[in-house]
Amino acid sequence: MLAFLLLTAVACGAQQESGSAPASQDAFRVALLTPGSIADGGWNASAWDGLERIQSSLGAEISHVETRTPAEFEDGFRDYASRGFDLVFGHGFEYQEAAARVAAEFPETVFVTTSGSTVRPNVAPMVFELEQATYLCGLLAARMSQTGKLGLIGGIDLPSIRSTFTAMAAGARQGRRDIKLREVFLGNFDDVAAAREAALALLEEGADFLLHQANDAGRGVFQAVSERAAAGDTVYAFGTNRNQNEMAPDVVLASAVLDVPGAFEQVARRVQEGRFEAKIMRLGMADGIVAFVVNPELQDRIPPEIAEEVARAEAEIRSGERTVPRGDF
Amino acid sequence: MEELLAASLRLGAPLLLAALGELIVERAGVVNIGIEGMMLVGAFAAFAAAVATGSPGIGVGAALAAGAAVGLLFAAFAVGRRADQIVVGMAVNLLALGATGLAARALYAGSIPEAPRWGELAIPGLAELPWLGPVLFVQTPFVYVGLVGAAGVGWFLTRTRPGLRLRAVGEAARAADAEGVSVARVRVAALAFGGALAGLAGASLSVSQTGTFTEGMTAGRGFIALAIVIFGRWRPVGAAAAALFFGATTALQFRLQARGYAVPYPVFLMLPYVVTLAVLALATGGGRAPADLGRPYAREER
Repeated sequence: MLAFLLLTAVACGAQQESGSAPASQDAFRVALLTPGSIADGGWNASAWDGLERIQSSLGAEISHVETRTPAEFEDGFRDYASRGFDLVFGHGFEYQEAAARVAAEFPETVFVTTSGSTVRPNVAPMVFELEQATYLCGLLAARMSQTGKLGLIGGIDLPSIRSTFTAMAAGARQGRRDIKLREVFLGNFDDVAAAREAALALLEEGADFLLHQANDAGRGVFQAVSERAAAGDTVYAFGTNRNQNEMAPDVVLASAVLDVPGAFEQVARRVQEGRFEAKIMRLGMADGIVAFVVNPELQDRIPPEIAEEVARAEAEIRSGERTVPRGDF
Repeated sequence: MEELLAASLRLGAPLLLAALGELIVERAGVVNIGIEGMMLVGAFAAFAAAVATGSPGIGVGAALAAGAAVGLLFAAFAVGRRADQIVVGMAVNLLALGATGLAARALYAGSIPEAPRWGELAIPGLAELPWLGPVLFVQTPFVYVGLVGAAGVGWFLTRTRPGLRLRAVGEAARAADAEGVSVARVRVAALAFGGALAGLAGASLSVSQTGTFTEGMTAGRGFIALAIVIFGRWRPVGAAAAALFFGATTALQFRLQARGYAVPYPVFLMLPYVVTLAVLALATGGGRAPADLGRPYAREER
């Protein structure tokens, strides 16, 4: 019992440290569980940004805890639910099962997992449709490619990464039937030098457009493409997840951008306004969460008829007329 | 083919540099499993100094100094206090990963700038040679330093008096001490040298192969260098062969992946490890670990 009180005290202390407003009965309270450090500059950092945005724009009281094991996922959910939080995010598909188990005991709390497919009366995943943007990357690249070969560089072959590649390939085949796609995986997301080498290997193989899904290591890809472009080759790269057009403005033709904080805010707003529905929440271009952003400095390299075709495809995706294939995960 | 061979040298160079440093350290009787951390510190120091000054050369200098400093830190515990060398090495790796990550976040707050780089340096005359020229003589300075360094380390160990003393300390510390060689001084100097070369290897990643820094960007190369010393039977020529062979299979596996064969990619990622292991297991020729490797030396102990 004493241990429990101490734990609660520690948890409350941690909550106040992470910058939340003092507790009150009627405030909208939102919590976040992340599988890793929110200072990772990537996946978890974007979720923290989302939580902070929920605090600033919805006036919510927020709290966060890092949970690394399935047992911790469940403890985290249960702790926040028992303290009366209205909404708890689990930032990853690995949170689905824990959410479903705890949700049955706390019907007043809404549990949202980032990606996943588990739906219960008070559990739903939010699924980002980054595939819509990588599809357009594929379409644009296939139309512009002089070699008929595109290159993909991934960190590890995770379902989410595979899915964006699948969509890129579909877009590319839409643009040019005989297009060839080649993939290289690095085995990690940190090794920039390996990413550069992988990109050089793909460029040697004749690929003239490269898309990466390698987080930080992606910079090595831009570097390799920049070097080849400086040597006179016509080669381009695409940015992913964030707008990376400025990281290598001479070669990044466009970026497939995902606004994770915006997605957190939209979902929290739905819950706050009582519009939560127990179904998979797909967030894409039509919701303003995913965007295909062409680098303004390189815009004039895209022939007008191709730009028009890509714009038409984008409009069809927005309206729902065209569905982009994605992996099932 | 030329591109593949050039890439082999490029990818082998950081492994060779770090392995040469470790070879000197091990021949002096110390096992330093903290090379990974020393490389990472070197990579960060080179990056930060190059960004601050605009000069990759100053970055390389900073990497040498920072690597040597971590080597001396290792020596303070492992030689000075005779702590367990494996434990000190682990501590160095963990400290380096945390410290460089923290420093990178504090200095650049999420938007890492681009550092100026040392690119390829074509050696006049030789670079024009057919076939060999572009492979061997249009490389970054790190490749040249690695190859010349391997020869230099071999000469030092077998042909100089300090080299002889260093080997004596590694083989029989007590006998060397009896002959008036300061075991501690030799080991500290070896660790400073090993740290500096590991730092240099890290610099080759951050201010030559790429112009950037990411947390954990050494991605295990320090441990590969450790293995290369063993594979190379504690000899510079063996270490050079192993490092370049590993570089070659790494370069090859990227190109095989890019060919688009219907083989799961982890098979290709495994290739450098499996092939290097197989070749070196089959390669004959003696050479063994220094007899006093890994043993802290205390004069009063019997």
